[in-house]
Amino acid sequence: MIVSWDWLTEYVDLKMSHDDLVDRLTMSGLNHEGTEPIDGDQAIDLEVTSNRADCLGHIGVAREIAALYETPLRIPNPQPQTISAKISDHCSVEITSPETCYRYTARLIRGVKIGPSPDWMQRRLESLGIGIVNNVVDATNYVMFECGQPLHAFDFAKIKEGKIRVRNSAQDEKFTAIDHHHYELDSSMCVIADAADAIALGGVMGGADSEVSDSTTDVLIEAAYFEQLAIRNAARKLKLHSPSSFRFERNVDSAQLDWASRRVCELILESAGGELLEGVIDVGQSPRTPDPVKLRYHQLERLLGIQIPEAFVAPTLEKLGLTNISTDESSVTATPPSWRKDLTREADLVEEVGRIYGFDKIPDNVNVPMAASYRPKADRTIDRIRGVLTAAGFDEAVTTSLIPQPWSDAFSPWTETPPMMSSQPMLGVLEEYSKNIGAVNLLRRSLVPSLIEVARINEYRSNVDVNLFETAKVYLPQGENEIPDQPTKLGLVSRRDYFAVKGVIETLVSTLNSSARVSVAPCSFSALDASRSAELLVADTRLGWIGQVSQSVRKQFGLRSDAIVAELDLAALEKLAVMIPVYAATSSFPTVSRDFNFIVDNAVRWGELESTVRAACGELLESIEYRETFRDENKDGPNKKRLLLSVVLRSATATLTGQEADEICKSIISGCESKHSAALVG
Amino acid sequence: MFMTDGLYQPSLTRQPIMSATAMPIEEFVKQLDELAHRATTAFEVATDADSLDEARVQFLGAKRGEFKSLQKNMGAVPGESKKEAGMKLNAVKKTIQLAFEDAQVRLLGGAGEAAKDPEFDPTLPGHSFRVGKLHPITQTINELKDIMGRLGFTPAEGPEVEDDHHNFEALNIPRSHPARDPLDNFYLSVAQSQNNDSTLADNPLLMRSQTSTVQIRVMENTEPPIRIVSLGRVYRPDETDATHYPMFHQIEGLMVDQNVTLADLKTVLHLFATNYLGNDVPVRIRPSFFPFTEPSVEADYFWNGKWVEFGGAGIVDPNVLRSVGYDPEKYSGFAFGLGIERLCMIRHQITDIRYLFTNDVRFLRQF
Repeated sequence: MIVSWDWLTEYVDLKMSHDDLVDRLTMSGLNHEGTEPIDGDQAIDLEVTSNRADCLGHIGVAREIAALYETPLRIPNPQPQTISAKISDHCSVEITSPETCYRYTARLIRGVKIGPSPDWMQRRLESLGIGIVNNVVDATNYVMFECGQPLHAFDFAKIKEGKIRVRNSAQDEKFTAIDHHHYELDSSMCVIADAADAIALGGVMGGADSEVSDSTTDVLIEAAYFEQLAIRNAARKLKLHSPSSFRFERNVDSAQLDWASRRVCELILESAGGELLEGVIDVGQSPRTPDPVKLRYHQLERLLGIQIPEAFVAPTLEKLGLTNISTDESSVTATPPSWRKDLTREADLVEEVGRIYGFDKIPDNVNVPMAASYRPKADRTIDRIRGVLTAAGFDEAVTTSLIPQPWSDAFSPWTETPPMMSSQPMLGVLEEYSKNIGAVNLLRRSLVPSLIEVARINEYRSNVDVNLFETAKVYLPQGENEIPDQPTKLGLVSRRDYFAVKGVIETLVSTLNSSARVSVAPCSFSALDASRSAELLVADTRLGWIGQVSQSVRKQFGLRSDAIVAELDLAALEKLAVMIPVYAATSSFPTVSRDFNFIVDNAVRWGELESTVRAACGELLESIEYRETFRDENKDGPNKKRLLLSVVLRSATATLTGQEADEICKSIISGCESKHSAALVG
Repeated sequence: MFMTDGLYQPSLTRQPIMSATAMPIEEFVKQLDELAHRATTAFEVATDADSLDEARVQFLGAKRGEFKSLQKNMGAVPGESKKEAGMKLNAVKKTIQLAFEDAQVRLLGGAGEAAKDPEFDPTLPGHSFRVGKLHPITQTINELKDIMGRLGFTPAEGPEVEDDHHNFEALNIPRSHPARDPLDNFYLSVAQSQNNDSTLADNPLLMRSQTSTVQIRVMENTEPPIRIVSLGRVYRPDETDATHYPMFHQIEGLMVDQNVTLADLKTVLHLFATNYLGNDVPVRIRPSFFPFTEPSVEADYFWNGKWVEFGGAGIVDPNVLRSVGYDPEKYSGFAFGLGIERLCMIRHQITDIRYLFTNDVRFLRQF
């Protein structure tokens, strides 16, 4: 809301400096956003919160100033002259949609002479950046910016039969507004109609057909109260926002209609002449009147943390327009004014008294009691995971929780239930390349599709060594209108190879828990390469999946080169994470290392052979290290491979003798022979 | 090198060196002492690098040095004296070595032999490795969480898909409030069902539009005193531009106890700002409006000569306390919330919010 310094002086003396005024206003709730000097005046831009529609007019702001500076407030008392002819003989108003129009008043002025409005009025409107039209329209605007009540002037000659019907629009009813745009209305919108057609979109904008023009002689002045929701919906659906709709959306003062109507008639008579007909048409419901509110003095200190003198309270409430003020030794009771519908409870009055007294008087160094806080295990686990992954050269990504359908369909390992859908899509979140892929309106069930897209973006931008991870929730539907399961997952995408990424995951797991070992099981997803993919487990707990992105999905996403993706369940990682490791004695005896070279069938998996070796070593095993796989059909025949490995043995209680080590080796060899038909080379 | 064809072998094998004639321990010690004396003297009198190197070869040479030759006599020392002989040998070796190093420092200024290798180029790049970076949003969140943790606030988590009750109703946001407009929220339905009327259901689901929902969930399940901080993603269907994105992050603090006041709030915000910005930063609060707090305030901090908006805050509205079953006559509390993106962008001078979510690694690696 822009207010003019000069205009404010109409209602309150401004003896303070501009800077002092805007500081006080800021600190009492009207945040100063800037001031522009305009032609000897100052246009002061104040931010008005949505609960303070009363400050969307100069009088409201002046009232605040009067309360802050304890100075009198002057409000005009318009008493326009009327002639004996009665409006009720010429005009009628009927409200058929009380759910959208609460109250409607009309006055009629005959014989006006349309011309420019007075200079002083033009100057003030121009200070606010309001366009100048003529002495009638300008007067309605002036009064709106004076008291916050939107008004409208119709060319009475255009109102067929002088009959006004306030009704809801017909579905698809056509309407041409003053801005000369055509609108198609729906049945939730309120229109002002004459005996035939809509002549205004109630509370939003007048109609082109009935607007005041140079040839207008009789004007009908509307001052009405339209319901907040109806106006908001209409303005929003039609993308038609006006100073009028802005005010109705925020709830104007239903008790002020008559004042505003008289005030605008007075101004029109002054500048455009004409005769005001006797009486007012006033239909609809009576003004809403707030209930009294009681404020107990001790609540001020209890909520604000400062002592405010009791003597300050009642006069402040009075300055703010509250009436019927009564006090006893512990409280004050008062009725809020009609323009302050936000004051309904004790806490509201606490704020009123506090803000006028000054929040700057509230200290910022009181003794807040100490309290112990702790970091949940999930939090600490994520920190460790991030530590390992960044050490491994992975950067962290953050991608949107909603994704388009093709991505959602591409990979959903955690559930087969269809994703939840948002009624609104996310707009403007896709890169140019993916723009036409579909609406971004599905709640993702996996982080992987988003990460594949991130890999593509980086590939497109010629970025190298791209390794990224993300920790975020996925949304696994439970049932209609049930809050979905929302576990946090860890997603990875990397341009390294399968084993490099698997190694990162193995390192991650062993960092969280030194005794946990990752094993794999087969899996089958169309998004993952048939061979280079696996389910990842620790003992019997499923961690997630790893795999190379399949050709088809690479093609779908437009990814040119290979990428490895993985997705792990954070709860599973959290569960296995050991936060406080327990000391285990380290052996001070030397190790014995032995190398093996087995010829096995191609079908024998390392993991199986390794388990056999592990079992054969028993407690003496320090480590098993895979060395390499070697194939030579000439030496070993078809479908054979050599698996080379090293075993390190160590005893906790003595130096291992060569003989003891040899015993273990024999058992390794025989175990591998019997279980995997492995033949030792050499 | 890994051996491909050898069967397992012990990793360490060393043959003992045996000598033919026996030597009494006394004789061995005497020879060592004498060697030590001659070697240290030679090193002490060396006058330049060449003469020092000559002496080094004579006494410490790896193949024919005198120490090496004497060491071979170890084998001739009788078994029962071996341990003593070994200890003496080590001591003398150390003495000679130290004398050499002293001379080296004296003559070569400590550069040792390294300076002599003309092929070694110490300016070649090291074998560096790339450490990944945490997302700037995560870094900001971690810092804020840390600060709040020091002030006694424990992190709390809540669902991102919420119901109307927790996102609005319990927060004193009535159905008529503009924040609840279906066009301003990501209301949900199950994709496969054709029922698009879910927004009309009693308690429809939506992507949470604020982290205040976590407050409600915590208060529903906990009795005061409460001191939590909730962080995470929130969603509003804004059109994307340089300062708007339909997904962003918030941090929200809540403290409820008996006698929690606006002064406590201002104090905590002051500590928070001072902690975050690393100075004694003035904080002011000014009246504002939020449905879930009364009084509501906007907090600013004074930084670089001007007041900068910090975030919204206030005393928890009695309706909110009632909605979770607290008695507003007994308990009071404050809450405050900040947008993470704004803080992060100001901190790192990031000019477009979309950069945060494009995940170009050249961007991510800057932080």
